Amino acid sequence: MRNGLLVTCLLVLPWTSVAARDPDDLDLAGLSPRESGLAIFEAADRRASGYADMQVELEMILRSSRGAESHRQLRIKQLEVPDDGDKLLVIFDTPKPIKGTALLSFSHKMEADDQWLYLPAMKRVKKITSRNKSGPFLSSEFAYEDLTAQEVEKFTYRLLRTEPLDAVPCYVVERTPLDGYSGYARQVVWLDLAELRVQQIEYYDRRNGLYKVLAIHDYVEYENQFWKAGRMFMTNHQTGKTTELLWRNYQFGTGLMDERDFSTNSLLRVR
Amino acid sequence: MRRRLFALIIMVACAVPVHAADRIAFGSFKTSDNATNWAARVAQLMQADIDVVAIAKSGETWYRVTSGALDATAYADMERRANLSGIRYWRLRGEIDAVPVPGAARNPQALARIRPAARASEPPASHAPPASGVASAVDARAAISSLDLDLGLQARTYAESGLDGQSRFQPSFSASLDYYRRWDQGRQSLTFSPFVRLDGEDDERSHFDLRELYWSRVGNDWDLHLGVKQVFWGVTEFKHLVDIVNQTDLVENIDGEDKLGQPMAHLSVIRDWGIVDLYLLVGFRERTFPGSDGRLRLSVPIDTDRASYASAAGRNRIDAAIRWTHNIGPVEFGLSHFSGTSRDPELRAALTPSGTLVLRPHYSVVDQTGLDVQAILGDWALKVEAISNSGFGDRYNAINFGFERTLVGIMGGRADLGVVAEYMFDDRNDAAVTTLYEHDLALGTRWSLNDLADTQALLGVIWDVKTHEYVFKVEGSRRLGETWTLLLEGRIFGGAHEPDSGAPLRSLFDADNKSASLQRDDFLQLELTRYF
Repeated sequence: MRNGLLVTCLLVLPWTSVAARDPDDLDLAGLSPRESGLAIFEAADRRASGYADMQVELEMILRSSRGAESHRQLRIKQLEVPDDGDKLLVIFDTPKPIKGTALLSFSHKMEADDQWLYLPAMKRVKKITSRNKSGPFLSSEFAYEDLTAQEVEKFTYRLLRTEPLDAVPCYVVERTPLDGYSGYARQVVWLDLAELRVQQIEYYDRRNGLYKVLAIHDYVEYENQFWKAGRMFMTNHQTGKTTELLWRNYQFGTGLMDERDFSTNSLLRVR
Repeated sequence: MRRRLFALIIMVACAVPVHAADRIAFGSFKTSDNATNWAARVAQLMQADIDVVAIAKSGETWYRVTSGALDATAYADMERRANLSGIRYWRLRGEIDAVPVPGAARNPQALARIRPAARASEPPASHAPPASGVASAVDARAAISSLDLDLGLQARTYAESGLDGQSRFQPSFSASLDYYRRWDQGRQSLTFSPFVRLDGEDDERSHFDLRELYWSRVGNDWDLHLGVKQVFWGVTEFKHLVDIVNQTDLVENIDGEDKLGQPMAHLSVIRDWGIVDLYLLVGFRERTFPGSDGRLRLSVPIDTDRASYASAAGRNRIDAAIRWTHNIGPVEFGLSHFSGTSRDPELRAALTPSGTLVLRPHYSVVDQTGLDVQAILGDWALKVEAISNSGFGDRYNAINFGFERTLVGIMGGRADLGVVAEYMFDDRNDAAVTTLYEHDLALGTRWSLNDLADTQALLGVIWDVKTHEYVFKVEGSRRLGETWTLLLEGRIFGGAHEPDSGAPLRSLFDADNKSASLQRDDFLQLELTRYF
């Protein structure tokens, strides 16, 4: 009995010592599972908002089931657009043959996202259909839709349960994409109670079979405020292939500007 | 827990969801800078005063972005505005949960009240880096420079020897350099990209070109570029009707997608109603043509040293162009006008002093208005390019239209397949001497395997619906490791008969047999490129 209490204290203590978030932005009292799921994601989105813009470097490590490896290095710039979805610019640095290729994406809350690809060999900016959202991003196990901004409005939610994941107490929320072009029937998301950080996502394919699992590690709090992951690990359970993402050099509030940094003109001068 | 219960009891007891002194909260921050930045954006979007309030929780100070205290009507109005702006918010019920900062007044006091700034063309202050010395703003705009070099070995093998006995094998080597430097907090940059090819057979294909050498100055909503540059206009895949700024480097590839550097001054301005590009083009670039030892050429040699111009200024004429591009929902369009020396030459027959029949390029002065439109509807992209050109005497019009459809998850779920179909029409019909495609249908498929080697393949056919001439095209590429690529390219020409050597001119201008000169030029090409 006393041991049990001790264990409980050990489990709980690290979390109570973490600074609590503004306690009033999430109150699930009296809410249905659907309302709770939505409230959790709205609160998570709110807590992750407010940095104006962000820049980060990303290394992707693609591994086949036989162990072959391929590395890609990218830079990502993101601009918050409070009255719509975020704007995202992805610049490819390696492998060298694709260096200079860039993707500009405007996510929207309701309509389809706008996406443009810059092809440096032809100096051509080509608008592409966002139908490719379920296709592999740079041959990785991540689809475009896994990496572009995930606006709260694009899903319906249901709080399934609260359970520990690797001893971290988590909300477990099922979210169902509203867009018929999504590659998923549903996703199950684990968010920790303390900070509402996404810890794990299970992706179910359109036939509702388990497709991929994303584990998110090494969260660091930046600017005393924003929790960002250092490492993500996607496993494709249907093929055995994996993709690891290593995030480095997060910078916030760097003064990126709408027209200057996130227009088709800025795509033309991406470096 | 007690607080939640209490709130619940109040809600139930009052049966009015909104307390008389409620506020709307938009976020809470650990630094007042972040809170002030966010408040400025919210105030801007909502066109309302927004407060930053310090609160204490668990011994820490938080900075909360909220409205002032609101009565029921004002709350409803504020909520409506927040919903319209798409800003996330939550409700603060009266003073229940307000915890004063130690030492501050009992009720939370606004540290700052942010008023909505008037809309200005300059970005709102909230876009600027926080005042409290965030060094990262400098890092993100840091001066950078990069140098890249690609070396390529290309081998073309033709199915037959040429009309004049040219070789079946054509090896060549190419190098392209790319130097880039950015300084002045990212506002100024220099780009330098020279290109050279050395061809084992064709002296004309051995050539050097300054693809780009220009200086750029970037403002918040404008770009200025001075120097030699490349510019692409248009949306279609098989033929680029609207694209007119840069001259075609035809010796590089018969598909016309390689371009020569064009000296210019280029100003681009971004407005709410679209992007306007203004070009002043100085110094004309003549089209390159394969030499007599080269392949993929006309049956009569082209005397590129004796080009003639309609303009008295010759190649020194200053040309001008303007283009307006804009997006409306899923539709994006470009409207352009070009006034200057035609990039397409007319080929005029002439006799050299020694009595050899040659073709001499003649460059007219033209006005060309172009329109390109692309609409994205689900997985369909509908595309149109149309031009009206004052021509070489008579005005002519041409149009390309078609679609591109992308199917994902082909072949075991990873590959993408793009299907492209386009129709090309030129109202000069058979008199359209500057193009092979005056009433042609093009079909293509683009495969992306999405494997570790980025394998891609393109298969296409262009078919003249009247004369039944055709070109088959195949392209494939694959990465070998991280720094090499292998590119395969091939063409098969058919549907025409070879030129009549007894009547070279009549053969050359036979409208039903325009691709006659290419009938022996079916080829397969392998290119190995190393990236440094």
